[in-house]
Amino acid sequence: MWADTLLIVFISICTALLGEGLTWLLVYRTEKYQKLKNEVEKQSKKLEKRKEAHGESLDKQHKKKIEREEERLKNNNKDLSFVKMKSMFAIGFAFTALLSMFNSIFDGRVVAKLPFMPISWIQGLSHRNLSGEDYSECSFIFLYILCTMSIRQNIQKMLGFAPSRAASKQGNSLFGPGPGQFK
Amino acid sequence: MNNKTKSDEKNGSSQIGSVLSRAFQSNAEWPDKEEFLDVIYWSRQIIGIIVGIVWGLVPIKGFMGLVLFMLVNAAIIYIYYSNFQNIDEEDYGGAWELTKEGFMTSFAGFLVTWIIIYSGLHYD
Repeated sequence: MWADTLLIVFISICTALLGEGLTWLLVYRTEKYQKLKNEVEKQSKKLEKRKEAHGESLDKQHKKKIEREEERLKNNNKDLSFVKMKSMFAIGFAFTALLSMFNSIFDGRVVAKLPFMPISWIQGLSHRNLSGEDYSECSFIFLYILCTMSIRQNIQKMLGFAPSRAASKQGNSLFGPGPGQFK
Repeated sequence: MNNKTKSDEKNGSSQIGSVLSRAFQSNAEWPDKEEFLDVIYWSRQIIGIIVGIVWGLVPIKGFMGLVLFMLVNAAIIYIYYSNFQNIDEEDYGGAWELTKEGFMTSFAGFLVTWIIIYSGLHYD
């Protein structure tokens, strides 16, 4: 089993590097992306500082100012995700093809034995394309997803491509209040 | 801002050295919060992999392994920032922000090493 599991780790390192490389080629190195990213980061930090400085005792004028800045940040964030989206689609297609190739190579093969029994809604993934009732047997796709989850984000972080904390914190508030806002 | 990032990149390696030495130094000064959060993030990843290897070697099995990992992971980080570094967690948006920093990635890394070591050693 060593051979299969280590091969999967190797595959996910390669695909993560390939994905980041492609994204760098198509997105990260473009001037537009860099300009937008810097802008979003600057604004997020400024907004966070301003919110911290004034706390809850906001007068009307400050509130309006903050709202205006939030609006600007929102627009910049939207532009940023639009710049990213195009290449994400291209990469997504390429990776779906790659994944289905690996899937057929490892079809029906038990690549690892799980030391725990996965909960029922994960069993569909961890026991995909495997015969038998032993749900502690692990399929390629489950291990691959876990590897990618840890390796891709760490590679992004190492190379400095991960979005900054301030930006992602403010970005989250677009879709719903972040945990910090409940205080 | 642009100039700052450029000079930041130039000083990258010396910065990493300074962050590392402060990470192992008790009650160190952290003027840049991001640096401290990075230290938390990377130590989480290392803890995840080490715990995964240990659980696989022992071997620990079942749901207990997952719960124990979460407890060990949260406890080490908590002791690190509250007793060793003595930082005020409110500066970082509360204990929850520090507890969840890099947690999912470390959890995935832990699962991968646990599964690989366990199935490699005990099911060949």
